[in-house]
Amino acid sequence: MSGEEEENAAELKIGDEFLKAKCLMNCEVALILDRRYEQLQQMSDDPTNQISQVFEKSMQYVKRFSRYKNPDAVRQVREILSRNRLAEFELCVLGNLCPETVEEAIAMVPSIKSKGRALEEDAIEKMLHDLSLIKKFE
Amino acid sequence: MFFHISMEKNMQLHPRHFGPHLRDKLVAKLMKDVEGTCSGRHGFVVAITGVDDIGKGLIREGTGFVTFPVRYQCVVFRPFKGEILEAVVTMVNKMGFFAEAGPVQIFVSNHLIPDDMEFQTGDVPNYTTSDRSVRIQKDSEVRLKIIGTRVDATEIFCIGTIKDDFLGVINDPGAAA
Repeated sequence: MSGEEEENAAELKIGDEFLKAKCLMNCEVALILDRRYEQLQQMSDDPTNQISQVFEKSMQYVKRFSRYKNPDAVRQVREILSRNRLAEFELCVLGNLCPETVEEAIAMVPSIKSKGRALEEDAIEKMLHDLSLIKKFE
Repeated sequence: MFFHISMEKNMQLHPRHFGPHLRDKLVAKLMKDVEGTCSGRHGFVVAITGVDDIGKGLIREGTGFVTFPVRYQCVVFRPFKGEILEAVVTMVNKMGFFAEAGPVQIFVSNHLIPDDMEFQTGDVPNYTTSDRSVRIQKDSEVRLKIIGTRVDATEIFCIGTIKDDFLGVINDPGAAA
């Protein structure tokens, strides 16, 4: 696979298919999996034999690393991030890692600073500030 | 990173399932077959969230099985080279440490751990800085960068690094104790 060689998330080279796909932040995945888990429990008396290991591990993981718990906060986070014309992938990395400084944000998502994107440092700072407010008032 | 993507699969169904609940049977079989699988291209399929479309069935000659093309939406986990994510440390040894991010295993070799962190043997093997302020042990939460992926038939395995700015321990279970 020659495409595999060029893969680099730092430059947003993640393949067309995934670039266009909808990314999910950990907190969003937690909401989806929670609902799915309830469904599975209703469907059978013994849910354990229905649930794959992948599902279980993913659920533990997203619960542990969800920055925002309630659905309203999750929606607001996505709204704030999407105001800044970020790619889906960049949006979710920022939403997952919650960097505190502009420098950190750029280290986490180098692609927001490359290829002459119009995103100013001020804009990034404002975005990070807005995110920290949501976290504080959740 | 988790993604919500649309995928397609040809499902074979035994004729005994044909009847008013054909669709339900098909969806149940799809979930059973697909959830928890892993492919190099799409990553781990975590959960199916919806079925968009079930096409016209085609009878297979000789067997009586019918093949339905099914288009469905699912949540997948696909790690990428260069991606930065958080993970939980599962095992520490002198070669480095293993961490887990959801379904995927990540190995961080001791060459990719900052030079000032030394391996310490004992009940709880760990990597500690010389001033003992930072420690990596089992159950620590670390932020790491994926620098390589290896794709198996049924698994994706990653190599990571914490030797870079803003990477490393984010939560130390030993510190509270």
